[in-house]
Amino acid sequence: MKFVLAIITTISLLTGHLNANEVNIFSSRHYDSDIQLYEKFTNQTGIKVNIISGEDAALQKRIIEEGADSKADIYITSDAGRLGLFDSKGMFQNSMSSIIKDKVPVNYRSENWTGISKRARIIFYSIDRVKNHEIENLNYEDLSNLKWKNRIVIRQSNSIYNQSLLASLISNNGIVNTENWAKEFVKNFSRSPKGNDRAQILAVASGEADIAIANTYYYALMLSGQKGKDQQEAAQKVLPFYPNQNNRGTHMNISGAGILKTSKNKLNAIKFLEFLLSKESQEHIVKNTYEYPIIKDFDSYELISKMNLEIDFKEDLLTPVSDFAKYQPDALRIMLQAGWK
Amino acid sequence: MIIRFNIWYLSSFLISLTVAVPVLMIFSSFFENTSEYSLILKDTFLLDYIINSLTLLIGVLILTSIIGIGCAYLVSFYDFFGAKFFKWALILSFAVPAYIYSYSLSAFFENYGTAYSLLKSISGDAVLNSSIPKLDGMIGATIAISFSIFGYVYVLTRTSFHYQSQNLIDLGKNLGFSKKKTFLKIILPSARPSIVAGLSLVAMETLSDFGSVSFFGVSTLTTGIYNAWITFDDLTLANRLSFYLLIFIFLLFTIENFSRKKAQYHSLPKSGFKTKTKIKLAGYKSSLAFTVCFLVFFISFLFPVFQMSYWTFLFPKHFFDLNLIKLLGNTLLLVLLSCCLLISLGFISNYGNRITKSKFLQGLTTFSISGYAMPGVILAVAYISFISFLDENIYFFKNYNIKSFFIGSIFGLVIVYFVRFYSLANNGIRSGYLKINYSIDESAYLLGYSKIKTFKNIHLPFLKNSVFLVIILLLIEIIKELPITLIMRPFNFDTFATTAYTYASQDLLEAAAAPAIILILISSAFILITSKFILNEK
Repeated sequence: MKFVLAIITTISLLTGHLNANEVNIFSSRHYDSDIQLYEKFTNQTGIKVNIISGEDAALQKRIIEEGADSKADIYITSDAGRLGLFDSKGMFQNSMSSIIKDKVPVNYRSENWTGISKRARIIFYSIDRVKNHEIENLNYEDLSNLKWKNRIVIRQSNSIYNQSLLASLISNNGIVNTENWAKEFVKNFSRSPKGNDRAQILAVASGEADIAIANTYYYALMLSGQKGKDQQEAAQKVLPFYPNQNNRGTHMNISGAGILKTSKNKLNAIKFLEFLLSKESQEHIVKNTYEYPIIKDFDSYELISKMNLEIDFKEDLLTPVSDFAKYQPDALRIMLQAGWK
Repeated sequence: MIIRFNIWYLSSFLISLTVAVPVLMIFSSFFENTSEYSLILKDTFLLDYIINSLTLLIGVLILTSIIGIGCAYLVSFYDFFGAKFFKWALILSFAVPAYIYSYSLSAFFENYGTAYSLLKSISGDAVLNSSIPKLDGMIGATIAISFSIFGYVYVLTRTSFHYQSQNLIDLGKNLGFSKKKTFLKIILPSARPSIVAGLSLVAMETLSDFGSVSFFGVSTLTTGIYNAWITFDDLTLANRLSFYLLIFIFLLFTIENFSRKKAQYHSLPKSGFKTKTKIKLAGYKSSLAFTVCFLVFFISFLFPVFQMSYWTFLFPKHFFDLNLIKLLGNTLLLVLLSCCLLISLGFISNYGNRITKSKFLQGLTTFSISGYAMPGVILAVAYISFISFLDENIYFFKNYNIKSFFIGSIFGLVIVYFVRFYSLANNGIRSGYLKINYSIDESAYLLGYSKIKTFKNIHLPFLKNSVFLVIILLLIEIIKELPITLIMRPFNFDTFATTAYTYASQDLLEAAAAPAIILILISSAFILITSKFILNEK
């Protein structure tokens, strides 16, 4: 019997065959903690969660080429632009249940996909070298000002987070203004862009620059001590600042998910999305990844405030995140033409 | 010239054609339209990307030549303290993938990194981040790639040196050459095919590298390829750029082949082979040779192993979280299947090329293996597009569900590995074959041996060591392979490499350390077990 079972397992493994009560996820969001969450879902519902995680564009291409044969039910990625682009190719189906619509603010979802967590891309400044009056009321737009010359660090232009940030600037200020802004902004860089968001914050701590632009959770990761004591102390030399508080609000991006048009387990997939948007799941995500929750009625903010991060800041709810997909190509073009490596 | 169509010709042809599929697929991009990104790229960073790619390539080639040939020369011709140890210890560098090397280098030297913590624990709070060199950018990428793949040059060159007979060295002496002149005029030129084989693998891996260059923020042509594909959603342009990479590699090969002209490199088996007497070094010369080898061993192997172990000990939880048995099973399954496929087909193709002596076949093989210089993910995507093309356009395949058979299955994964690593298998076996004089085959046929019998009784014993070397290289490449595994794998299927990647992409390098160190240990174990064969001494 064992032998037969082994053969069946081997064959199904070799040909990639799967069972019935399941939901199949393609994800380019690779949190280990997400896997624990999926296990909870299986325990609650009996629906098995199968995952393939990988690089965004590659996964999208695989789903597209697999076409009607694709086993994928849900696609998850951590940038609104990437999600929107995939949607614009007609890959998702209209699947947002009333539960989903009730929970997620309208800015962070469409008819075909929904955010599952959100992050703010903000400014981190040196406590020692940036004066209060310099940082007060600061907008992203002000960073092109000459007074920041040689004081700013940010990662490279191929970072999807930068492309979405620039896309939101284009959406609000138009292409020409953003082009002019980028040209001046790049002149303020204190070094040629390199490293991830955490490296930018560390550069401010070590004195290589005075302000960095980075996503909030990188800072929380250091401050939590998960990166060792020295990086925890380094993070304490730096404070977060949320730009554009007096106008549209701080630039937000999402991790999001949609149900594929070719999904063969649609009901399971909807159940899965609703599960991700439950309070319990949202708490799990916040606790493990230090992202912001996406749902409206969330109340366990202790951890976020413990990480020096704001809770009651003004989010940019005016710029539809779906605009990111539209303007990302222009964003990269503008950055490249401005000499942003 | 008579072309002999037979089963060998046909199978050899089919194998090369399969390997050539991705190359042909990306070539087809020249018949499609591209987005505006091609113009933007031309106006902005294209020249930069090309210059960076070339700088990186030249830097890596120079560094790997110096380290690889230098160490091979020292351990082959001299006897000094530790020489026997370094002979195999230097191969261990193979076990460290370039991306893991990059993590280590960056984590050690970054602001508030491991170097900072260590210095601080020694000398107190006075440490400044600015006093620690930042080995990043182009320098970091060059170091990471060079030290993780110089082994190709070292192993192949050393084998060649090992088989150089004392006669050659005596010849130098008789001609009144100095040691330096003997090395430059006699030893080095006669090892040329091996050195070139090693360096061409290095060149292809360097050009197709994405992990290290993106980690260090060096914008090379692969950056252009990714930007085109990911942000501008322009796979056509990405494919075209990849094709330019291939043309470049193809040119390198052709130039090398051309400059080699008609020189033949067969060594006469055994007859007149005088075992070399190694020169015994003493005093400062011995210490110098030791120091050089130790430094290379330290930088290439001990350093990344130290950084990964440091994290694993600091955060042991990540180690205990790993499902070791499953990961090991998956990794070994892939290795086993792929090695069998690659070696057997590598043999068939080489033997086919040898007995048909067809220029066309050889050309096709050279053409197809240039695909090794293609970024892995582009290759995998080309393969997926090809399967999808077959499924949708060829009537015969419509009745069979070939997509789910070839995409997202272990079977499909192994096929793409085959396409990717075929050049490694082929080159390795070919370099073994080059040493067997054609006259041996002819004598065998005269004695009435069939082609298969010639292969089995005559070629195989000669090729044994080359094959072991190829197997171990494949094994290590497959254990650490990342982009193809990520996109082609079935659901819920992880290897040590994908697990390390998953953690690293969440910026949890300290969690990536546990799978990384196990990956390194497994490869190291395999290297140790087979080192006698790799070193060609059995």
